[in-house]
Amino acid sequence: MVRLLALDPVAIGDLLWTPLLIIILKVVAIFAIGLLVTMFMVWFERKAIAGMQNRIGPNKAGPWGLLQTLADGIKLFFKEDLLPDRADRFVFKLAPYLAFVPAFLVWSVIPLGGDFSDGKNGIVTWFGEQTRVQLADPPVGILLVLALSSIAVYGIMLAGWSSGSKYPLLGSVRASAQMVSYEAALGLSIATVLLLAGTLSTSGIVANQDGFTNWHVVSTGVVPFIIFLLAATAELNRPPFDLVEAEQELVGGFNTEYSSIRFGLFFLAEFMNTVTMSGIIVTLFWGGPQGLFDIPIIPGAIEGTIWFIAKVLLFLYVYVWFRATLPRFRYDQLMDLGWKILIPMSLGWFMLMAALRLGRDQDWNQAVVAIVSAAVLIVCAGLISMAMKVSRANREREGATF
Amino acid sequence: MGQYLPVVALLIVGVLFGVLSFIASRLLAPRRPSVAKEAPYECGILPSREPPERFPVSFYIVAMLFIMFDIEIIFIYPFAVARQELGAFAFWEMLAFSSVFFLTFVYVIARGALDWGPIARARRLSDAVSSDRTSSSTIRRVGLEGRLDAEQAA
Amino acid sequence: MELVVFVIAAAMVIVGALGVILRPNPVHAALSLVLTLFGVAVHFVALEAHFLAAVQVIVYAGAIVVLFLFVIMLLGVDRTEDISIEPFKVQRPMALVVGVGVIGLVTAAVSSSRDAIGRGNGLEIPTVTGDNDSNVRQIARSVFGDYVVAFELTSVLLVVAVVGTVMLTRRIKTGKGES
Repeated sequence: MVRLLALDPVAIGDLLWTPLLIIILKVVAIFAIGLLVTMFMVWFERKAIAGMQNRIGPNKAGPWGLLQTLADGIKLFFKEDLLPDRADRFVFKLAPYLAFVPAFLVWSVIPLGGDFSDGKNGIVTWFGEQTRVQLADPPVGILLVLALSSIAVYGIMLAGWSSGSKYPLLGSVRASAQMVSYEAALGLSIATVLLLAGTLSTSGIVANQDGFTNWHVVSTGVVPFIIFLLAATAELNRPPFDLVEAEQELVGGFNTEYSSIRFGLFFLAEFMNTVTMSGIIVTLFWGGPQGLFDIPIIPGAIEGTIWFIAKVLLFLYVYVWFRATLPRFRYDQLMDLGWKILIPMSLGWFMLMAALRLGRDQDWNQAVVAIVSAAVLIVCAGLISMAMKVSRANREREGATF
Repeated sequence: MGQYLPVVALLIVGVLFGVLSFIASRLLAPRRPSVAKEAPYECGILPSREPPERFPVSFYIVAMLFIMFDIEIIFIYPFAVARQELGAFAFWEMLAFSSVFFLTFVYVIARGALDWGPIARARRLSDAVSSDRTSSSTIRRVGLEGRLDAEQAA
Repeated sequence: MELVVFVIAAAMVIVGALGVILRPNPVHAALSLVLTLFGVAVHFVALEAHFLAAVQVIVYAGAIVVLFLFVIMLLGVDRTEDISIEPFKVQRPMALVVGVGVIGLVTAAVSSSRDAIGRGNGLEIPTVTGDNDSNVRQIARSVFGDYVVAFELTSVLLVVAVVGTVMLTRRIKTGKGES
């Protein structure tokens, strides 16, 4: 077998028994962690929102109601599975997989831990084999996440279409246009991170962020992080961007016609995506498993995992907080935010960062570069606002109602 | 390809999980389909309208623009990753590329392709809606005329 | 190992391609197209062209087929059609001629360049140095180095596509008529 292009040392070379065993262990572990964490996330969201609304929330099943999600999940198994007679049977059955499997696969590229201090690059030794605390480190790295999120669009789009019912159809058309729009903003804000990291691999991106000032949230200047956070929220169809399931208008959105475990898989995918997206945010912008300081006693490899979990929890809380606080966007506001603000802004910021980096490499005067770039960006912003005025004037003249 | 092996394994495990859940649900759940249950959801009434046959063209424009930006993104990524070895010339290339993109985008916005829904009314609709109408002015204008209790008091 | 991957990917491509032309429902046909594109992506991975594989999925499966599906839903043609009815009489004979022609051309190209593929075609073979990104760096060198003109022309091509779309779909009415 040829030597493989790889960064996870365990998967290089011939697959002997020990590496194979490690890979199997990792797959099983990731699978179990994925399901458990999603269960926990559902509980956490319900409990946190209950707290914010002065309620108690789930408290019967298990300690602090922790097993509530499990109980709900088991209940779904005993519910009748309906297949609407207008449904396109094949696609109707396929759609839950298209939503659920990509959600699972995102786990594979998130570095869940590892010691990144002193140039160790997160490599740990298990059973005498060097490996990473992440399922796989394929050369496409972060592109895998983008690819999977573009597959996830199909799950929602086809679920709505195949139901043969009007609310799911409306919900899915809205949802796919929304996800597609924000994927552009998402991709452009990742580009700024790649500019600094100089690599696509997620472990490389984490290794690049040693020390707080090197965390990409700081070194890219906060703006790409904010764009990414907003775009990710929209990509997840979470409040305030949950137009997909706007209950007042669309009953339940794309999954109205789904029941039993089919619905369960959509539900699982939704919450798992929330967790993995928080993981991606932490990986890209907040240093992943890199800590701010050394925790005494605990060995380096476990320390990374502790930091990672702490950061992910922070973002999960932010998502819950969004949900409890912010009212839902209107569809035109959503599209305006995505296309007219986030996308031009992320593109502009990318070019600004590229110019600053180039200026540093070429020993240009940084101040001059910054001023010129700022001037260009202001002109661009002016152009966009002029364009919006022109469009507005045209529509007012037409009495536009489209 | 070795790096993708765990990903493929996870894919298989995920699909298996889905299939097994379906089988479990098939075994555990009751199956008593009825006409009402299988009808399209309409809050319990009989559907009176077919699902929409056609959608606004704006969705098509969004998908088209997304292709444009997707291609921009996939050109930006190699540039971002290999910036250091490419040097200044590549930056100017990227700038030219992005400028063309940006100007097209400005045209698209100016043309109203990304406008959704009716325009927000900035113009004053009528005298009935204006900022100088406050609660105090309105009440004063109505006055006491025609109010029985007020006339009796007078 | 490589043979297994190749066979699976090839099967995906062929089954998908057959599905595109044989499924009577346009949405099913579009989904079959996604399967074909995935098969091609797997082939790219097998050839160590990781970046291209990702692009294949992101752009083709993620954007272009989504556009197709939008068009299908937009026009309300997502119903099953009888594919034995032929709207244009010349369509099928022409398709046959073109298909056979393409197969002939590909066969000719492969058979005439078999030696070249064996020799590595004089191309620089990527050096595997454990660098995860050698693939994407090489593409960057080609796109921003050797093929600058093509790269810049791509932007013009996209401009044409987008401006065309907008021109066709958003006509500004010049009259003052209230609709």
